[in-house]
Amino acid sequence: MNIEGNIFIFGYGSFGKHLYKHLSKLENKIKVVVDKQEDEDTSSCKTEVIRINIKQNEDILSLGIDPNKDIVYCAMNKTANNLFLVLTLKTLYNNVNIIAISNSYENARKLKYAGATNVIDLYEATSRRFVNILIKPAVTKAVDEIIYKENDLKMAEIVLPEDSSVDKKMLSEFDFKAHGIILIAIIDKEQGNDLRFVDHRVDHKLDAGDTLVVVAKEDDFERFKKYLEGKENG
Amino acid sequence: MKDRKNILIKFAYFLDSSQRYQNIKRFFYNLLENDDYPYKKYFDFFMIFVILSSVTLLVMDVKHHVPQWLDDFDLYFVTTVFIIEYLLRMWVYSDVHRIVIEEYEEALFFDRELSLGKLLWKIVKNKWEYMSTPSAIIDLLAIFPSYRGFRLLRVFVLFRAFKMLRYAKSLTSFLEVLKNKKFELITLLTLSAFFIFIAGIMLYVFEGNNINPNIHNLFDAFYWALITISTVGYGDISPITPEGRIVTMLIILTGIGLISFVTSIIVSSFSERLNILREDRIVNTLSKKENITVICGFGLLGRLVAKELAKEGVDFVVIEKDEDMAEMAYGMGYRAICADATRESIFEKLKIESNISHVLCLTSDDIQNTFIAVNVKSLNPNVYVTARCSDEEIAQKMYFAKVDQVVMPEEIAGMMASVYVGEPVAFEVLLSIIEQKEKIQIEEFEVLPGSNADGKTIGEIGFEDLRIILLGVLRTKEDGEAEFIFNPADDFVLQSGDNLVFIGYTTAISNFKRTMQ
Repeated sequence: MNIEGNIFIFGYGSFGKHLYKHLSKLENKIKVVVDKQEDEDTSSCKTEVIRINIKQNEDILSLGIDPNKDIVYCAMNKTANNLFLVLTLKTLYNNVNIIAISNSYENARKLKYAGATNVIDLYEATSRRFVNILIKPAVTKAVDEIIYKENDLKMAEIVLPEDSSVDKKMLSEFDFKAHGIILIAIIDKEQGNDLRFVDHRVDHKLDAGDTLVVVAKEDDFERFKKYLEGKENG
Repeated sequence: MKDRKNILIKFAYFLDSSQRYQNIKRFFYNLLENDDYPYKKYFDFFMIFVILSSVTLLVMDVKHHVPQWLDDFDLYFVTTVFIIEYLLRMWVYSDVHRIVIEEYEEALFFDRELSLGKLLWKIVKNKWEYMSTPSAIIDLLAIFPSYRGFRLLRVFVLFRAFKMLRYAKSLTSFLEVLKNKKFELITLLTLSAFFIFIAGIMLYVFEGNNINPNIHNLFDAFYWALITISTVGYGDISPITPEGRIVTMLIILTGIGLISFVTSIIVSSFSERLNILREDRIVNTLSKKENITVICGFGLLGRLVAKELAKEGVDFVVIEKDEDMAEMAYGMGYRAICADATRESIFEKLKIESNISHVLCLTSDDIQNTFIAVNVKSLNPNVYVTARCSDEEIAQKMYFAKVDQVVMPEEIAGMMASVYVGEPVAFEVLLSIIEQKEKIQIEEFEVLPGSNADGKTIGEIGFEDLRIILLGVLRTKEDGEAEFIFNPADDFVLQSGDNLVFIGYTTAISNFKRTMQ
């Protein structure tokens, strides 16, 4: 996980806490912001907690958010507060990256409309998981291994560097499996910014700037990255 | 005398120990009384057929000549069936041999002689208990109408129709509703009887004395009062004196009030009982199914899960404590019961020991979910319980209580949100895989023995040509533990029982499943 700017987490309720935990590797870049009126327990937070009045524009401006680099999470317990915050942030900084949490499909639409870059539906993924436990036990296990469990299997993305060792190659010519990698999706710059799942129906030419989303074991992934940069021979 | 007593006691003990006798008796009990017994349905249909045919014959007989063989059918067959049914019901109602044994053992205990007279009295009293129930009386009366010689007994044909009550559930539930309002209905009935009585007497006094040619006696006056107060008003008897007309006006006014009162009582008691009736029906339909999933709590998450399960065609029932929420679930077309899932009764009704396979605790309160989970696990530890939880400490307690899976919405969402930092594209892939909103899906496929995939290597199947991205294979090891083998090599041989996990577009997935079968 690499990021230039800071990560602002608004709200330290049940969701904010979990988010903080998952991002704890980047502790020094996280800034937790809590509304003065909300009495939230922030004792488990190791970074400094900033208490402001979220309804005041000056208070938000005083945080010094850099809209080009920073990521803002609207993770307050009340969706109404999140919505208000998204609107405020959007009026203050037009192009800031906002991830908002929502508790329903309906509210997700409102948050999107207000200008959130991405909305995470608190219950959508959970309900999917409840259903999968019931009817797709193997999928549940696989998703556990790849996504939820803290092990060396992970999903990650790579942006192809200039003059990489696969530059100008066709997708079908390259054997990802030999590197222990499963390629799932690609953004082919030549075909716009759309994310495409790789089902081999269409071949893609690999160029610098293309983004690959892969599932791999941690060390295979690191090795593959080095290989792409040409530092190691495949 | 002593010998006879001894034989009786021996016989009673013989019946008590005979497995065969018990089985036969249980069979008939199930057939007659046990609603859950699968063959009772056929017996019920048979009885309804017999009753209907007999009623039809008796009605036909009024105007037309019924052929001799049909008459014989009615006289011998129907009556025999009814007599046998009556005797069987009396037989399965209680165990006579148990009474004999109890009496004998009591006599032995107090060291006194067993009195045959007292014993007989006890048995008769016991069976009389059955014979004096309303349905038994109806059954008995329904036997009679076939005796052609005695015309008056024809009226008892009505009792044959009443007999149908036993076989039609909805009718019994209607009576059940009326029974609940017994007090109100009896009060109203007494009140109207009182009005009819007064009005009848008044009219008789005013017009009975040859003033009104239609009123000959007190019976006519009461008949008129009832016809008027019920707002039926045939008009065959009508008052002609001003006094009589005033009485009429008064009882018409009371009549309107009384009728609307009765209607409202019946309607309100129906709406009160509606939930219970509905619940009974749900429990009844579910009792014939296995592998039922129970959703406890119909909040935001419960609603989403119910929607998904309905889409997947899973049999489930929603249990919700809040009446309005349960009503909402019902309105959305789901089977919903308003009940407290922390109690044992609702799960017993749903037959937790045999019919329930999964319970999902989805209320927004962690403590409540723990409570439900413990309740379910203590009733049947084999039920797979999945609980929602927001607090890690409570989650640990849930695992300690042997909850099979704990799912934490905030944890899942938090994890997903954190992926966004530095990897926004992977985040997008994750979102579409986890939420499965687009046409891309993550699916599994079990390799069945003898199927196209059984014994083949990964390379031979050619996932790329089938437009499928294989993620891995879930294989059950010898110790029963399932292991996820990520990205297996091309020479990996598939065996039956393996579960393939893969990603693909919906059309490719269904095509893949077809080819592999």
